[in-house]
Amino acid sequence: MWLCWPLLVLWSVNSVIDYDIANRFVNLAYDRSLLESALDIGRQVKVLNERIYVDLPEIAVQMLQSRESGRLYYLVTGPDNEYITGEPDLPPPPDPFSGRVNYYDDGYHGKPVRVVALHLPLETGKSNSLVMVQVAENRAAREEFARQILLRMILPQALLIIVAGIMLWYAVGRGLAPLRALRLEIESRSHRDLSALPEEQTPQEVRPLIRALNELLERLSLALAAQQRFIADAAHQLRTPIAGLKTQTELALRQTPPGEAQTTLRQLRSATEQATRLVNQLLSLARAEPPAGRIEATLRFDLHDLAREATTEWVPRAIERNVDLGFDDRSQHAGVEGDPFLLREMLNNLLDNAIRYTQSGGQVTVCVRSVEGRPVLTIEDNGPGIPEAERTRVFERFYRVLGTGAEGVGLGLAIVSEIAQTHGADVTLTRGTAGIGTIVTVSFPAPEQRVTLARDRTDLN
Amino acid sequence: MRILIVEDDPVLADGLTRSLRHADYAVDCVNKGDEADHVLAAQSYDLVILDVGLPGLDGFEVLRRLRRRGGAVPVLVLTARDALPDRVRGLDLGADDYMVKPFDLPELEARVRALIRRGQSGGASLLTHGALVLDTAGRRATLGGEPLDLSARELGVLEVLMMRSGRVVNKEQLAEQLYGWDEEVGANAIEVYVHRLRRKLEPAGVSIRTIRGLGYLLEKGPTA
Repeated sequence: MWLCWPLLVLWSVNSVIDYDIANRFVNLAYDRSLLESALDIGRQVKVLNERIYVDLPEIAVQMLQSRESGRLYYLVTGPDNEYITGEPDLPPPPDPFSGRVNYYDDGYHGKPVRVVALHLPLETGKSNSLVMVQVAENRAAREEFARQILLRMILPQALLIIVAGIMLWYAVGRGLAPLRALRLEIESRSHRDLSALPEEQTPQEVRPLIRALNELLERLSLALAAQQRFIADAAHQLRTPIAGLKTQTELALRQTPPGEAQTTLRQLRSATEQATRLVNQLLSLARAEPPAGRIEATLRFDLHDLAREATTEWVPRAIERNVDLGFDDRSQHAGVEGDPFLLREMLNNLLDNAIRYTQSGGQVTVCVRSVEGRPVLTIEDNGPGIPEAERTRVFERFYRVLGTGAEGVGLGLAIVSEIAQTHGADVTLTRGTAGIGTIVTVSFPAPEQRVTLARDRTDLN
Repeated sequence: MRILIVEDDPVLADGLTRSLRHADYAVDCVNKGDEADHVLAAQSYDLVILDVGLPGLDGFEVLRRLRRRGGAVPVLVLTARDALPDRVRGLDLGADDYMVKPFDLPELEARVRALIRRGQSGGASLLTHGALVLDTAGRRATLGGEPLDLSARELGVLEVLMMRSGRVVNKEQLAEQLYGWDEEVGANAIEVYVHRLRRKLEPAGVSIRTIRGLGYLLEKGPTA
């Protein structure tokens, strides 16, 4: 597209120049023939008995008046500017009059005319006896002729420009195709894929750019890995002091009689629990994130069994909080490919959240189904529910729904969403079936889709 | 009963030592891997609680040397790492149990008891749950000293539930216990046994809770 405008401008400029050239040569040719006519008339100027007259036969006059290129008007005036013959109202030549032959443009009977004025010496013996012959012609004919020439010049040019434009467009398109492929490759990438871009099949000129990009990607992925290692190390390092704190608090609680000191110790214990949870979640997140987010151990296993096992493990905790945790009897077996360790981590976070945010006496139900070939996990609770406006925000790190009162650091759903993404699964939050509570739905890709996804992944790595 | 604690964090080591001494164990504590290796080569213990990240020798190496010398003492590994490969490695090297820091003290104490019991020949044949006592060798149960009239199948169900008291036991596990691997058993049969058992235990305040879609759980009594 951008090519059209300069070409159009170029073509216009060229046309103007062409028109000027055509005009000049047409003028030259027509002027010459105009001069011929003037000379013809001039030859017939005779002197008889001191009287000047023009001996124009009728046929010649008719010829002058019925030429193909338009009628000619003429006027012959004597040395003292006296009228001799022709059209008396032909416009006079402009002053100053110089030379023998003069061309000029003027108007006659309301039309533009080209006039030649010719000075002829008379053979009368007297000096300075010049006769002036003027011949005028409508400009219409020569303009028409110039236009025709112009048309014949610019049409092939236009054709040439169009053909050249198309060829250029095609060539540029072909040349840019690898760049377009590169763009698509980058656009289609997930944010966690920091592997090198393919260098082959790209034109020589682009390779340095790709190399530079690849180097940047590598540095970025090293930096990310270092950051994750740091988080993991920090979390690991925190675990031992927290274990000490927890053990000592527990011991102190056993030895302290009920009273204010014990209340303090209980608070301390609950703070320690929260620190424990935060550290564990930080580790989960570091594991689930890119670039470590690449599935390390891809296994095929039954989501039903995994979910049931995880649910079973959370029963004691649910009983502690007086929440009725159960596994839906209508659950179906559904094969999933991925990292069972990470998915277990995801289930733990979902169950922890559901139990944590459901009031005493509430219900949490886990279900695995196969919907149109896609394994789907749902965890439904009849707790307070999550307001619609907050449903996307709860997946952000350290975001907590205000007013829930439950302890928590707000990393649970961030971990869930990272792990789901790693497995190509979608997580959605909806209102519970009876209009209360929350349903978390994790929808996995159908197993055969999953297989190709895993293959793409290994190709890219 | 002698327990060796190998832990380099002084606060945690102190907490563990005191808690186990309260439970009347004789406790030694070292804070370096190579030291632990020497002590284990010279003395015998009923249980070792071993941290993985240690100065000197790391915990896995201490464990490897212990097992190479033929030491059969039960080992409970404590670690700050919970990644799967670490866990597998610990168990491969001959750890008997594995706990990730930070752990619950009561849970650790329970595992210590279980490991020591396992380390003794055969293990205890008496399971207790509050006032309920089950003699697994004699195949009989008493409630507050009074014999309970239970069929063999009911006794089998109760045994599984008591062994996993406070945790969920699913119907498949119960069926396995009752019928062996080959026999097909209906879930309905299990429900019938549980129902009968429940009726006999409920008057004494022992309740078997049904967990939707998962199985049964023997609820922890006030004294359990």
